[in-house]
Amino acid sequence: MEKCIGLISTNNIDNRFGPLCKHRPPYMLPIGGRYRLIDFAISNLVNHGISTVAVYTGEKIRSTMDHLGNGKPWDLNRRFNGLFLFPPVLDERYKNPYSDIAQYHSTEAFFNQGKEKYILIMHPNILSKVNISEAFKFFKESGADATLVYNRRFDPFGEYINLDKMHIDKEGNLIDIGLNLGTEKTFNHYMDMLFVKKEVFMEIIKESIEIGDANYFKEALLARKHLYKINGYESKGHVEVIRDLRTYYEANLNLLKRDISSELFFEGGTIYTKSKDEPSTLYSESSSVQNSLIANGCIIEGQVEGSIIFRGVKIGKNAIIKNSIVMQKSVVEDGAIIVNSILDKYSRIHKGASIAGSSLVPYVVEKYGHVTKD
Amino acid sequence: MNENKVVAMLLAGGQGSRLKALTKKVAKPAVPFGGKYRIIDFALSNAANSGISDIGILTQYKPYLLNTHIGIGSSWDYDRNTGGLRILPPFTSEDGGRWYTGTANAIYENIDYLDETDPEYVLILSGDHIYKMDYNELLSFHLEKESDVTIAVMEVPWEEASRFGIVNIDDSNKIVEFDEKPEVPKNNMASMGIYMFSWAKLREYLILDYEDQSSEHDFGKNVLPRMLNEGNAMYAWNFKGYWKDVGTVRSYWEANMDLLDDEATLNLYGRDWRIFTRNRNLPPHYMARGSVINNSLVNEGCYIIGEVNNSIIFSEVTIKKDAKVNNSVIHPKCVIEEGAEVNNAVVAEGVVIKAGDKIGQVDDGKIYLISEEGIMIE
Repeated sequence: MEKCIGLISTNNIDNRFGPLCKHRPPYMLPIGGRYRLIDFAISNLVNHGISTVAVYTGEKIRSTMDHLGNGKPWDLNRRFNGLFLFPPVLDERYKNPYSDIAQYHSTEAFFNQGKEKYILIMHPNILSKVNISEAFKFFKESGADATLVYNRRFDPFGEYINLDKMHIDKEGNLIDIGLNLGTEKTFNHYMDMLFVKKEVFMEIIKESIEIGDANYFKEALLARKHLYKINGYESKGHVEVIRDLRTYYEANLNLLKRDISSELFFEGGTIYTKSKDEPSTLYSESSSVQNSLIANGCIIEGQVEGSIIFRGVKIGKNAIIKNSIVMQKSVVEDGAIIVNSILDKYSRIHKGASIAGSSLVPYVVEKYGHVTKD
Repeated sequence: MNENKVVAMLLAGGQGSRLKALTKKVAKPAVPFGGKYRIIDFALSNAANSGISDIGILTQYKPYLLNTHIGIGSSWDYDRNTGGLRILPPFTSEDGGRWYTGTANAIYENIDYLDETDPEYVLILSGDHIYKMDYNELLSFHLEKESDVTIAVMEVPWEEASRFGIVNIDDSNKIVEFDEKPEVPKNNMASMGIYMFSWAKLREYLILDYEDQSSEHDFGKNVLPRMLNEGNAMYAWNFKGYWKDVGTVRSYWEANMDLLDDEATLNLYGRDWRIFTRNRNLPPHYMARGSVINNSLVNEGCYIIGEVNNSIIFSEVTIKKDAKVNNSVIHPKCVIEEGAEVNNAVVAEGVVIKAGDKIGQVDDGKIYLISEEGIMIE
């Protein structure tokens, strides 16, 4: 896979995560007890042998810089290739300097210098262990200029309305991409992930900027779909689309299901993240933990059920935590009760305080937030 | 520490034969400990936290796993441009190859390394002790007393003093006598096997000791007594805190159990003196519906459906439905199958306890070591 650049594009997502994304970009949301969303994308690239990874960071990048650093946890601190971070450059020349197409064009030199012939673009908010090696093989053997990755999604209750709906003909070639309005029970969901030949990618970007017909690469590609051979590759694994507070909350709690967690955590290689060197978690005599994922470095004396507990969390005696996400270094004091809630990092729920949200709208405590009784 | 440069020499070549099957494949310093560490992590982390920038690791017995674990030392920030970590195995030279024949001989053979790093002080450490220590305190005491060698000692219970190398001292902590495993101890200050030497002095005595045909080339037995006889300034520095030499299967089990005791233990959770280890990149552990857990440590990647009491569970352990683990140390990748029960045991890496099997009784006072080779009772 030395021939392919992994390109992580992070814009083009509405910020509907409330206070959780006040200080962090959506792809840096914590997930699964010790990870950030972007860890899944980068780890999957690396596990499939891609050693050049470019991240277009978007804004609010302090946490990105701290977390990704020189890419060491992913073995991307390399003399050749490795991790490239591209913070936004707002160049007034472009019609829309915020668009991904402008950002790609501003890093033209990076693409020209690389020996790689292919590019894989993916979005970190779509969580899936796509078998990149197989998809890449399909892309190359089919001789396509671009291969778009989709999954067949069964959606009888219309939970996935407004996702990209992809239409392909019998030969698997692209017809078009539109918006899913829920008219069919099963639809092809375009996963915001595509392989493209580097020369085609550069050609489309330059042309589109000159004409000024698109803001996003996807738009520009679709506008030229008759000029290129574009097909689809079906990925069969589990997919989480994390686009708002509810889907973020559900994606976390879905990891309590054994089949989903073993696929996302283990299949095709483990997920790498920044190490915190925490010791094992200590459970006291008074603890009781059911159906929960617990990271290292916690001291647990209370009750936990159906929850995700991140690294270094302290849970006091007689505290009750149910269907909640408790992020790194938070403290839940004795007797506090937390139901259907998300506690951001370093928050503290004081003695005897209680908070509750609903299963559709979880209660969110901001980073460093305190909740006291009354 | 720039003005008083210290190089640490960590002795990690011992077999630790009294740990039996636990050291069949690995050296004692590489034996897993405390849920996620290996024994050597404590000395290495102490050195890193003390700001020592050069450290030599002396390996000999079955070093493969130890070498893999340490790598280039990046887990302890020893992957440096200047200084850093060097693994120092025995080697051949013009007059043939030689194994390290004793603790002092291992250092003697690496005089070139020490000459090149050019320290003022050399700290001798042992890779098989569990403790947290700021070596700067030992160095300050060494400097204050203008000592040639300073030995870290700690008070042990009087009734156990005859199991240790006892150091007899005067009012100013100057060492007056070594008493190796005395029947009637005059003192309860035991040597911890941690020595701060002034390098010039150590160098001189390493050569003298090497030339002495009758010597066993051991610090405790030969070099230190000789230095004392010849009137060098030697002091004992009294360490207060938790320290354990895990010599036997029982003491290994006890030291692990100490981590569950609020009083007699190391605080692993303090962020200012972290114990570092090689990162395994595993997801959090999962506690299933119906699981029971009391007073235990659990590491990453475990899947627990059964019951765990007073135990240390390492990474990627599976404890199935209706299985019970009491007062035990379960090494990585073990599986305790449905309905099995494990009491007072140390279960070596990767062992599967079959469904319905029962090992030990809760209160039988014995320790069971379970490995590929079967069950050993101590």
